[in-house]
Amino acid sequence: MTTDLTFSAGQRPDGTPVLAVTGEIDMSNAGQFGSALAGALPERGRLAVDLTGVGYLDTSGLAQLFRHAQRIEVTVGDMLATVVTISGLADLTTVTRATA
Amino acid sequence: MLPVGEARARVSGMRAGGSAATVLELLFPGDSEMARRMRAHDWDGSALGDPAGWPASLRTACRICLTSRFPMIVWWGPELSFLYNDAYLPLLGSKHPALGKPGEQVWAEIWPIIGPMLDSVLSTGQATWSEDLLLPMNRHGYWEETYWTYSYSPLHDDAGTVRGVFTAVSETTERVIGERRLTVLHDLGARAGHARSVAEACELVAAALGRAGADVPLAAVYLRDDATGELVLAASSPLGAQPAPRTGGPGGWPLDEAIALGQPVRVTDVRARFGDLPAGGWSASPAQAVVLPLAFETGGPAGVLVAAASAGRALDEAYESFLTLVGQQTAALVTGAVAYQAQQRRAEELAELDRAKTVFFSNVSHEFRTPLSLITGPLEELRAALPDPGAAVARELDVIDRNAQRLSKLVNTLLDFSRLEAGRMQPRFEAADLAALTAELASSFRSAMDRAGLAFEVDCPPLPEPVYVDPELWEKVVLNLLSNALKFTFQGSVRVGVRVSGDQAVTEVADTGTGIPAAELPRLFERFHRVATARARSHEGSGIGLALAAELVALHGGEITAASTEGAGTVFTVTLPLGRSPGRVAAGPAPARGLGATRAYVQEAERWLPGGESAWPVDAGEPAGPAGPAGPAARDGARVLLADDNADMREYLQRLLDPEYQVQAVADGQAALDQARARPPDLVISDVMMPGRDGLSLVVALRADPVTAGVPVMLLSARAGQESVIEGLDAGADEYLVKPFAAAELRARVRGILRLAQVRGAHARWRTAMIDSMQEAFFVADQSGAIVEVNSAFTRLLGYGPGDLPYTPAQPWPPHLSTEPARPARHRDGRLVWIAASISQATDPQTGQRMTVGTLRDVTAEHYVGQRQTAVAAMGVLLSEAETVPEAVTGTIWEIREIWHARQVLAVTWDDTGEPALAAAGPARAWDDLPEAARDAISALRAGPRLRPATSGPGAVGIALEHPGGLLALWAELDPDRPFASEDEALLTQLCGYLVQALHRIHQSGQQREAALALQRAILGPAELPPGFAARYEPATRPLEVGGDWYDIIDLPDGRTGLVVGDCVGHGLAAATVMGQVRSAGRALLLRETSPARALAALDQFAAQIPGAACSTVFCGILDPATGRLVYSSAGHPPAIVAAADGGITLLEDGRSASLAVAEDLARSDAECVLPGRSTLLLYTDGLVERRRQPLDEGIMRAAAAVQAGRSALAADLAGQLMAGLAPAGGYEDDAALLLYRHPVPLELTFPADAAQLAPARRALRHWLTQCGLATRTIQDVLVAAGEACANAVEHGARHGASAPVRLAATATATDLRLTVTDGGQWREPAPGATAYRGHGIPFMRAVMTRVAIAPGQNGTVVNMELRISS
Repeated sequence: MTTDLTFSAGQRPDGTPVLAVTGEIDMSNAGQFGSALAGALPERGRLAVDLTGVGYLDTSGLAQLFRHAQRIEVTVGDMLATVVTISGLADLTTVTRATA
Repeated sequence: MLPVGEARARVSGMRAGGSAATVLELLFPGDSEMARRMRAHDWDGSALGDPAGWPASLRTACRICLTSRFPMIVWWGPELSFLYNDAYLPLLGSKHPALGKPGEQVWAEIWPIIGPMLDSVLSTGQATWSEDLLLPMNRHGYWEETYWTYSYSPLHDDAGTVRGVFTAVSETTERVIGERRLTVLHDLGARAGHARSVAEACELVAAALGRAGADVPLAAVYLRDDATGELVLAASSPLGAQPAPRTGGPGGWPLDEAIALGQPVRVTDVRARFGDLPAGGWSASPAQAVVLPLAFETGGPAGVLVAAASAGRALDEAYESFLTLVGQQTAALVTGAVAYQAQQRRAEELAELDRAKTVFFSNVSHEFRTPLSLITGPLEELRAALPDPGAAVARELDVIDRNAQRLSKLVNTLLDFSRLEAGRMQPRFEAADLAALTAELASSFRSAMDRAGLAFEVDCPPLPEPVYVDPELWEKVVLNLLSNALKFTFQGSVRVGVRVSGDQAVTEVADTGTGIPAAELPRLFERFHRVATARARSHEGSGIGLALAAELVALHGGEITAASTEGAGTVFTVTLPLGRSPGRVAAGPAPARGLGATRAYVQEAERWLPGGESAWPVDAGEPAGPAGPAGPAARDGARVLLADDNADMREYLQRLLDPEYQVQAVADGQAALDQARARPPDLVISDVMMPGRDGLSLVVALRADPVTAGVPVMLLSARAGQESVIEGLDAGADEYLVKPFAAAELRARVRGILRLAQVRGAHARWRTAMIDSMQEAFFVADQSGAIVEVNSAFTRLLGYGPGDLPYTPAQPWPPHLSTEPARPARHRDGRLVWIAASISQATDPQTGQRMTVGTLRDVTAEHYVGQRQTAVAAMGVLLSEAETVPEAVTGTIWEIREIWHARQVLAVTWDDTGEPALAAAGPARAWDDLPEAARDAISALRAGPRLRPATSGPGAVGIALEHPGGLLALWAELDPDRPFASEDEALLTQLCGYLVQALHRIHQSGQQREAALALQRAILGPAELPPGFAARYEPATRPLEVGGDWYDIIDLPDGRTGLVVGDCVGHGLAAATVMGQVRSAGRALLLRETSPARALAALDQFAAQIPGAACSTVFCGILDPATGRLVYSSAGHPPAIVAAADGGITLLEDGRSASLAVAEDLARSDAECVLPGRSTLLLYTDGLVERRRQPLDEGIMRAAAAVQAGRSALAADLAGQLMAGLAPAGGYEDDAALLLYRHPVPLELTFPADAAQLAPARRALRHWLTQCGLATRTIQDVLVAAGEACANAVEHGARHGASAPVRLAATATATDLRLTVTDGGQWREPAPGATAYRGHGIPFMRAVMTRVAIAPGQNGTVVNMELRISS
């Protein structure tokens, strides 16, 4: 059994594909998260990963983000602020804080 | 009571419009006597003046005084005018009425005490008090001992000046008396186990009660006298008190009645019975008493304790139960003493019996010896004087001789026994050819067997190895068995056989005799036991022959058994170890061994046979010496020693003299000298010319030796001529005969010399005979100090015989020729003996030399007896002081080691599995270090009898005894130089008896102590608290562990927890028993009722039923740990304290109402609060906060501050800090209890190492962190750190098999969070250069937590994380 995680795909007005994730990401579902990321990446350009619906993200989930760091931009809520900062993800890719 | 301000307002209100009467009614309200008196008082004439003009404070004080039921006084004005209430009347007694009088006048007699106190209050404005003041008071129809505490507070006038003093009085009688009685019981209890006798126990009780006169003015212990059956006064207090019943009165104490009833009898007409009795310091003589039957456990005497009750206290239920407790303590003390005495008596009786027996044997034997030698001595004289007595006389002489011999044999056997008993039988083991020795002994019986018509078969083929035996003792064994066989065998055969079986030499004596009934076999080797029904050749016999044989065989390390079929015969089998000595092998030459014993046995046996004549010459002296067999002796009995180097000449002379004399022939002068010294003959005949020492030199040597100086010597020489003759006679010869000589001349000269010598030597011989028959060792030393003569007792004592005389002063044994009470000396065989010497000087009439003559007495036994008495005393002290079982056992083994100079002493016990445990006085450390033989010997003790020493081979002794843990075996490896005699066995038994007694006492008192503690803990409260709670308890009365205070935690349905802290009135045991009941009731009611208030209301009803339970205060709460919601209600209890994480303090003061059961239908209400996250809740009793001369509020605030200051500590640590930190300088004066709770309860999660479990674990942690009241951001940080640690743990656990679960624990204080994650796997260090996100999240943990510690271990990894919470 894995921790509940849902994905929904969309598009920004500028055409950038968006993957919105809801739930918690830990080692039980990091693989699932990674597959979803890989699957959502466009052939060209960046993928916007919207993590504002994610309440918990651990290093296994971060590892998936790092793998595609060059090709994604990430939006996080307050809950993940510390993780994203400490991990250094913000230094490699664009991280936007969505304030509630 | 009205608040002061309100009262003042009302009075002022009245002054305006009310009438004078109404004003007085308001000033002095109520219809009490004093209110009426005050209203009626002529105030205008007094120093106080019109009440209407009184300051407000005086008026208020007066109102308080009149409406209070406590005794109160108001002193006012410069004269300290005296106002008081009804409650004070009994204290005032006949001084009433004293309204308005000056204080000094009212209390003139105690003014020196209270005057200065009142002055001090007036001058300083500070309150003061006087505590526990004894006031005899007549309030219940008798003068009663009462105690009061007075407090003196200042009263100010309207201007604020101190003008008066307000005195409140509270009664402390119950506490003072209760404490005093408890002290008495402690005092008695402390004496348990001290008394050695019943009398001593009674005296201890009397002594203890002598200090308790105030509670037991007269006590008397009566015990049933075993002889008369009457109850006799054993002890009394005051010392020697023995009140006699009044003539014409109702009689004495109803002692027998109390015993018959088996319960206390109350005597209410004490004064009518006895008149005045000791009053224990009270003004009146006791009027009541209790007669208590004493119940002893151990069948001691029936007894009674009479305890008079002080006239100063009513003999109520409490008083009577106190006296009953005194009775029980008394009975326990007496019981202990009876048990002690019985044990001691048994041990002493055993020892005494053994000692008496040994002394008896020893004395009887010695007493017989002297008269015996006075029969046999003169008998020999008589034979010498009557060379041809005629047949009739000769027969009579033979009868005398035979019987003297028989008696002598019996006496010798008895002496052997006494020597065995005293440990003085020292076998001289030597490697012997057992077959040859036995065959030789058997051959002496051959003629007797022949004459009895029995076939006698001796089958003794040589053995492959020597057997270590003492030939003399072995002789006794074999002869006893042979004589026994002959005695009981009428036809058939007797067979003696020696053979080897394994490593044993087996000697069998088998007969075809009458046999022994099977029932008698087990007692066959018992001393003095005779087989009554056996048909025998003779009924002579003492029944000790076989017993002696058995003891002697045992001494050889062997065993004797008998098998018998009645009517068919008996086989005695003796087994001895082959080729190894059971003891020290004799050094030096064996002493001369004679056939004396053999002769006595065979002679006796032959007399049983038809004809009755012995084939042995009954009048023969004992032939001596190893030089060869002696010829048959002449009837004359004179012993002639013959020295000639020519064998033909020796034979010729022997033939010449043989018919008349007992001749011993040797081949040279030196041999002759040795023989003569060893046993002086009656005459020496010597050739002059011999190789080595010649005849002349022999004569000189003989004359130089005091022992042989008187022996006549005849020289034979081939050298004729006057010169030779003169030379010979000059040298000291008595006769000089020149060869060749006529046979008749030789015989005539010999006869002449002997007759002359007989006359001349009678005195000397008597001297020798007497000296030899002396029981004391005797010696003569010459001027140089050399010992030149000794007697046989000397040889027995020190091992040095006459054969090696003289002994020069350089000898290592007794060198000091001085009279001394006791000094050690070394026996020739090396052992130590203790001797007392008596020395005197004498001049030898022949030589004029100053000689030293001494007697030595063997005081070894006495010496050791003295040592043993010291040992017994030392043991007594040691054991009475020992407080634990190991202490007593260890002390005992060291003492035993000391007493017997043992190499080591071991104490071994076995646990349930049979595993031995060892305590050692000596080098041994562990059971497995011991040699196998020792382990076997010790193990064998387990199966044997208790308290009976068992010697396992020479040099070791063991004993088994009862031990609280089962069985205790003591085993001592002894000093090989010290024999372990039966006296030693008795002493060891006695000491071990003491040890058993001491172990029993120690064990029992230990059990009682444990039982008392267990009982106390049972009523105290839960020992194990749920997580998050901590409690402390400190009773005021040590060594009690309980008191009137308690705390309780109760698991309720729906996960709620009941919390109770309460305080019953008083402290000590009485309060504890009330507390136990109230606590249990509270527990039950909380489970039943829905709210604290309802539980308290139900508890009100319960408390009303229990004496002493009313007025208890209780704080009762129901906590929901999930939400922190606390519903509570307080029955007169101080408020609980809540310290929030930010340091804020809240007192839970709502929901308060009166103490338990103080009024009917009390309304009780609940209050509610919610404990914030990381707050601390403190419930406590007033003992924790109460201080003398300080308001309770101050104490409560001090406690609150302490909780606030300690809010960062863990609950368990904080509880200890509070208890220690709040204690007054002299320790808590009242019971104190506290109960702490830190919200929320620490988190404790365990989940399988499965990634799917991470989300639920995070959920639980998030919930708990929320309960902790943390900011969302902080919660998220902690979740990340904990989540990483848990993910790692799951990874490890999964890697090492799913068996090991993951544990997550979290604790919060006001300022810190502590998290611990534990797994069952191994931590993997992050690879060098790994990026942050591959580092297993450690940087995350470090980034968000204040401190992270990872402790990898063999069985798992522990991650500890701490976070300091910023406020």
